[in-house]
Amino acid sequence: MNLPRRPVTALVCAALALPSPLSALPGAAPENGKKPRAEYRLPELQGDARILHTLNRFTFGPRPGDVDAVRRMGLENWFEQQLNPAAMDETTLNARLEQYPAMQLGVQELLYRYPSNGMIHQAANGKIAVPQEPVLRAIYQDQMDRVAARKAAKADKDTAQKNATAQMYAPVTARAENAQPAMMGSTGGEANTMAVADAAPVVSDADVNSLLGLTPEARVQQLASLPQPQLDATLKAMRPVQRLALVAGMTAQQRETVLALEGPERLVAEELIAARLTRDIYASAQLQEVMTDFWLNHFNIYLRKNEAMPYALVSYERDVIRPRALGKFEDLLEATAHSPAMLLYLDNATSMGPESLAADRARRAAARRPELGKKLREGLNENYARELMELHTVGVNGGYTQADVTEVARILTGWTVDRAEQAATFEFNDNRHEPGTKTVMGVKYREDGEREGEALLHALASSPKTAQFLSRKLAVRFVSDDPPQALVDRMAQAYMTSGGDIRTVLRTMFHAPEFWATDVYRAKVKTPLEYLVSAMRASNADIESLRPLANALREQGMPLYGCVPPTGYDWRAETWVSTAALVDRMNFALQLAANKLPGVWTEWSGEEDTSTATMLAANTPTPEAEESRLEATLLAGGVSESTRAAVLRQFEQQYTNEAQVRAIAAPGRRAVALTATEKQDQVLAGLLLGSPEFQRR
Amino acid sequence: MQLTRRFLFRNGAMALAGTTAIPGFLVRTVLAQAAAPKQRLVVVFQRGAADGLNIVVPYREKNYYAMRPSIAIPQNQVLDLDGFFGLHPSLAGFTSLFDAKQMAIVHAVGSPDGTRSHFDAQDYMESGTPGLKSTQDGWLNRALQAEDARLRTTHTPFRAVALGPDVPRTLAGKVPALALNSVNNFAVGGRGPAPSAAASAFEAMYGESGDKVFHAAGEETFDAVKMLRAANPGQYTPRAEANYPGSEFGNRMKQIAQLLKANLGVEAAFTDVSGWDTHQNQGAADGQLSNRLRDFADSIGAFWRDMGDDAENVTLVTMSEFGRTARENGTGGTDHGHANAMFVLGGNVKGGKVYGRWPGLANEQLNEGRDLALTTDYRAVLGEVLARQLGAADMNAVFPGAGLQPGNFLKLM
Repeated sequence: MNLPRRPVTALVCAALALPSPLSALPGAAPENGKKPRAEYRLPELQGDARILHTLNRFTFGPRPGDVDAVRRMGLENWFEQQLNPAAMDETTLNARLEQYPAMQLGVQELLYRYPSNGMIHQAANGKIAVPQEPVLRAIYQDQMDRVAARKAAKADKDTAQKNATAQMYAPVTARAENAQPAMMGSTGGEANTMAVADAAPVVSDADVNSLLGLTPEARVQQLASLPQPQLDATLKAMRPVQRLALVAGMTAQQRETVLALEGPERLVAEELIAARLTRDIYASAQLQEVMTDFWLNHFNIYLRKNEAMPYALVSYERDVIRPRALGKFEDLLEATAHSPAMLLYLDNATSMGPESLAADRARRAAARRPELGKKLREGLNENYARELMELHTVGVNGGYTQADVTEVARILTGWTVDRAEQAATFEFNDNRHEPGTKTVMGVKYREDGEREGEALLHALASSPKTAQFLSRKLAVRFVSDDPPQALVDRMAQAYMTSGGDIRTVLRTMFHAPEFWATDVYRAKVKTPLEYLVSAMRASNADIESLRPLANALREQGMPLYGCVPPTGYDWRAETWVSTAALVDRMNFALQLAANKLPGVWTEWSGEEDTSTATMLAANTPTPEAEESRLEATLLAGGVSESTRAAVLRQFEQQYTNEAQVRAIAAPGRRAVALTATEKQDQVLAGLLLGSPEFQRR
Repeated sequence: MQLTRRFLFRNGAMALAGTTAIPGFLVRTVLAQAAAPKQRLVVVFQRGAADGLNIVVPYREKNYYAMRPSIAIPQNQVLDLDGFFGLHPSLAGFTSLFDAKQMAIVHAVGSPDGTRSHFDAQDYMESGTPGLKSTQDGWLNRALQAEDARLRTTHTPFRAVALGPDVPRTLAGKVPALALNSVNNFAVGGRGPAPSAAASAFEAMYGESGDKVFHAAGEETFDAVKMLRAANPGQYTPRAEANYPGSEFGNRMKQIAQLLKANLGVEAAFTDVSGWDTHQNQGAADGQLSNRLRDFADSIGAFWRDMGDDAENVTLVTMSEFGRTARENGTGGTDHGHANAMFVLGGNVKGGKVYGRWPGLANEQLNEGRDLALTTDYRAVLGEVLARQLGAADMNAVFPGAGLQPGNFLKLM
């Protein structure tokens, strides 16, 4: 059968093979009308290859139909629209985000409705009032009970451990004497554990079924009314299908309540990650999400730094980073420097000027009450000061010394968080601020409270070193692992002349010949996030649960908000090409394509599209025809002949084996029996998504 | 090839044959069996700059207590080593190893480069060329390269292996290195006795790929997957006395033990453990650092007990990119410092001693007035370990520019 195969591929190949007519002529076609310099120019991408290249670099990967859409619209128009996404239609995305109403709440409201362990601790100690509203009250009470139970269990374990340690280190004679009490201790512990186990109520299938028989609202009420440990026992007794049935038909808010009854902090952390992945996959404003991801990595924060962090990160992503992702870098820097999340993550919130009023008071208090002296702290923490220069602005070769780091730390004393345990709001506390003039890299900052820091941030954001540092990092993300210095220089110049305007820098990069050089086409290896999200987009997956994706990211070494050091993740290939990565990616591709990821659905039959290939395939689809159709869907740029041959050859082997297996397998085991074609498509799609070609963008 | 057949039969590896035309890996495997490395090196990197002064505590230093009013380990709580140094109480798991003279400690050791950047310091420490950014490979990879130049033996894909999602800088270079997230899940398309059809398809696809990077990664992957299936390290469950903590690090050490015991030809294994960047509230005998240390010592201790008699051929060495400030900072923690402490554990180690010249902690003895000064280049420690453990002779090939002289080693092995 001779199907018209991969028109896009053919064009791309032609474009790659022939240098563009323009670049073939030395000095031809100056873009801006300036007299061109006679210099060697790399062959540039042409035609649909330009579209694919753009989609691969400025989105989380093309979806089926994206190339056509961009072609209709014009590449330049598409890019400008991505740079100015305010008016874009986000109906699909917004419908999906409605699943996460908690993500719309302010931090205080979020903490109140879905309390952190810090809040629970305060409630347990009577420092804050437990809400009166019955469901909220239940969320607090359940969590307080769990914390108390954990504490009791830990106390038991500690006692047992202490006894064991005492045994281990006691002299031989004493050990024998100790044996008795130690055994009594551990017996006591076991007795306690058993008592807890005894108290754990037995939940029968009938109990679960009667709960599931209720209306959604009644189910929520019923769960909220269950005291501990019945609640946890009931949730634990449910099988996965019953868990799904439990939240079936519920509004998003009701579903959140159920999850919060199970663990409020976990709900917040999970939704934070699920909502971000949902945007990466479904947003029309892809570049805004790509840049949000870029800046969240640049200004990295670790989710587990403290108990308030998941809450602070909801606001950090939503209110600090995303709205400024395509704006001025200085605004972004300012906003991060004022964000509770950053001040807590890099410890500046607790830094105090050694000669400040607050430190002086603390010292005098310590002198009055020497027994408390060790608990009182008054001094600098230079963590943020260093990373502000090394990672956020001028870079490690930015020309600063250790003395400069300490001076920056002095300038930033007093930049703290009001009610830190709730990550509430930024506060400049003058009492903690170090008095006197400071000098950073030869520039003097006269005593001026918060404005010293503002001036410092302005100086850092306007530094040519920052322009170079950021331009290189952007070029590594968007162009190649080792971008040409000429490109970086051009971007850095655009940064300096535009006052650090991120749009201008991106536009300069987009119009630079280095961006279109044929040797950077598909040169970037996808990071785990790029790989997983691009697979979701290419396969047009319908996603009910983001958990499999979040788990896969963790296994592949790139959990969202899970990077512990402030450096963030690397964008270069060497970090992400490994035997472990390949095994994980191949398995993920196979599972995704065969619908083995719970809550993620793919459909390969192609019934929804009306291409010639599908029409033909509908009759007697051969593996070749199906491979061709799926290849065009998943990898618009096509795969190599060797990949195609391997897919087909092994597919035929598999197909024969499967046919034999099916012949002897009992029929009717699956609720939805797959046709032979569907099964075949799943294998083909899985192999294509795991192919070497799909590892690149 | 009598050996070949017997080996294949014994390991049930015949099931693998027939998936690709030339099972080249089998040949390599078998050859490696013949010359399986007896001496193994395990490297543990503590990422984030561990606070050496609270790990191996100089509890006779007056200034130690003056500089760390709220985080110092009280004299009566340290686990005494030699009347001057004592271990943090959470390192109780190390005392028996130290007492049995299997564990040596080096103090005031580290990278001579003065950077206080985590990223740069880790990069320098792992490349083995502090101050030099252009080095492409890692010190451990160069050590294996040097070995290849000396001895012409064949090796298995498991010769150099990292537990974790990526190959660390330490192992980067010409000698292929594996990364494994999990010994049990290192298979494509299911863990059946034979490779799945999908795995065979992927193998052919990557094997024939013109993409050099993925061609090479694919070959290494499938060689390793098949060999692992044949060796089935899952059968090596930890010995009863090896009670690994349930942490990620404990789990990784457990899997390193499985790989070593499964006779896969592992010569160098690497893993890392993070969470040492204690700028705030690091705690003293209890608290944040204490919890990290307990996990650290208990995992390594369990690994050692798990290895049993095999432990005599293993050397384990730990490192961290730099130490932390001698004085506690204003927030109950410590900032980025300089020299640190290293642990060296092994059957051939002359343990039970804290090595290195102690520079003192008086204010005028501190590096830049703030950190423990450095008296031993960490490369001298690694050089000695490599020389004694892997027989490395050409120190300049492994640590170019370090000027290592075997005569100047600490003689801890």
